[in-house]
Amino acid sequence: MKLGVSLYSYQQAQFFKELSLEDQIREVSENLPGADGIEIIDEMSLHYPDPGLAFIERWFGWMARYKTVPVTMDVGMDVLQFRDHVMSHAECAERLKRDIRLAKSLGFQNVRVLSTCPFEVMLAALPEAERLGLKLGKEVHQPMALEGRQVSEIIEYAQKTGHDLLGIVPDFGIFGTRPSEVLLAWYVRRGAREAAGDAAVELAHLLRTGRAPLDFEAVSRQTAGNLRVAFKSFVGTGLCEPELKPAFEALKRFADQRVPMASALDYVVVSEAILLSNTSPDTLRQLCPHVVSVHAKFNYMSECPGWPGEFQDIAIDYEAGIKALRDGGYAGYLNSEYEGQRYFQDRTRAEMQSEIEQVRRHQGMLRRLIAP
Amino acid sequence: MFDNYLIRHDSLKNDVEGGIVAGFSLAVRHANYRGVFLSLHAGYFLEVDGVEYPVSAQSFEINGQPPRSFEETKTAVWEHWDYDDEAILHIAAPGGLKAGLHIIRFQQCVLAAYGYLPTDEAWVATPPKPGSGAGSDKTPHIVTYELSLNDAAGA
Repeated sequence: MKLGVSLYSYQQAQFFKELSLEDQIREVSENLPGADGIEIIDEMSLHYPDPGLAFIERWFGWMARYKTVPVTMDVGMDVLQFRDHVMSHAECAERLKRDIRLAKSLGFQNVRVLSTCPFEVMLAALPEAERLGLKLGKEVHQPMALEGRQVSEIIEYAQKTGHDLLGIVPDFGIFGTRPSEVLLAWYVRRGAREAAGDAAVELAHLLRTGRAPLDFEAVSRQTAGNLRVAFKSFVGTGLCEPELKPAFEALKRFADQRVPMASALDYVVVSEAILLSNTSPDTLRQLCPHVVSVHAKFNYMSECPGWPGEFQDIAIDYEAGIKALRDGGYAGYLNSEYEGQRYFQDRTRAEMQSEIEQVRRHQGMLRRLIAP
Repeated sequence: MFDNYLIRHDSLKNDVEGGIVAGFSLAVRHANYRGVFLSLHAGYFLEVDGVEYPVSAQSFEINGQPPRSFEETKTAVWEHWDYDDEAILHIAAPGGLKAGLHIIRFQQCVLAAYGYLPTDEAWVATPPKPGSGAGSDKTPHIVTYELSLNDAAGA
């Protein structure tokens, strides 16, 4: 397996203008042993949608100087872009084709689409990817699982047609075992009770061991952000999409039993447990031929107890995920994707996390886990 | 995200046009790491010292263009507000703000999302009202700032 970094990891340093795009690329090249892969979000790292020819020249200059490789470009889909109508699948495919051409112009090998991107949109854009020789991968992001229809329709198509340009980009958040400790601490600073965080950790454990008092099949088809909004609205109004209602009612009961007089925020905290995927590492092993690239997501690297200088994310089962990739013969890139900085951004700049340090720790863990 | 940093702290000032104080302005950043197509940015919930200033009183200066109303930016469907760029939010308020400290409550409204949502058609017809929570993207709650007016134009 090869190592890289999604520059998404440095979004905070970019916001505060502490690291330019070139600085971020240099950090990957010079301070992360063995890493050379670069992943970007087009809208974050480029002057979007057209960065201009002078930029493209600079970009390739950086890749040569720092000996880095453009691996995957992550693209979005904003269905209200035109404001006077909701974009059709054909219009979404047009945007995707533009982004595929942009990715090609910067030398990327893969384009990652959102987990919510309809399969029809991917299929409609596939000829453009084929023409330009890029792979198209759908992100599999928590609470989505590897076992659902959203993945199987891609795999079945690839197997039926022998197409190797269409696949998946698993995000390691799908191997989350509990809500991250930094997320729960952020909620407490906003007024949530510790008991709500404890209940979320307990429910996550029950779900993982198949003993939870509710069924989350319907939940796993939604994005985490959309679910948070939907559950918050349900707690306030009692209203939600019919397919979500049984899960939401059971979740509310679970919270009521453990957090007396729960506030709206306490309910949201408990609901973090249902945003985990509970997917099987063995499924990933089987799907390895269809893995385009990997988002090695993490939220907080803490020191391993009794093991100074070595770090782990206590909320994500990295060992199982990496073992599955190795056993499945995956030889592509593992790109660090640090997301936990946002859980410190309610604080002063001095109290926020160093993304540089967090990514260095994470890369150290990846090197440890992929070592033969 | 970046709760305390979405408004530049030294940016609050009165806007003077033709010698008359026409309102006030703030320098703002986008809360989402990917920026946004300008058409999808639907304005702000903005309250200063308990007075709410509706989107109709707001105009937005970005990408080297003169300030535009949020009705005008709706049609900027291929123009992007990049993550790196600061914009100026202008508020029409004859007389502007008084000198000294002001309590500002603030929330950005952005219609960008991760794919199709049940609210899509409704938001085409009627975009969410900033501050209601809907369309709040990466500023999920209203943020409070205490800022000092930064010029001498305040009476």
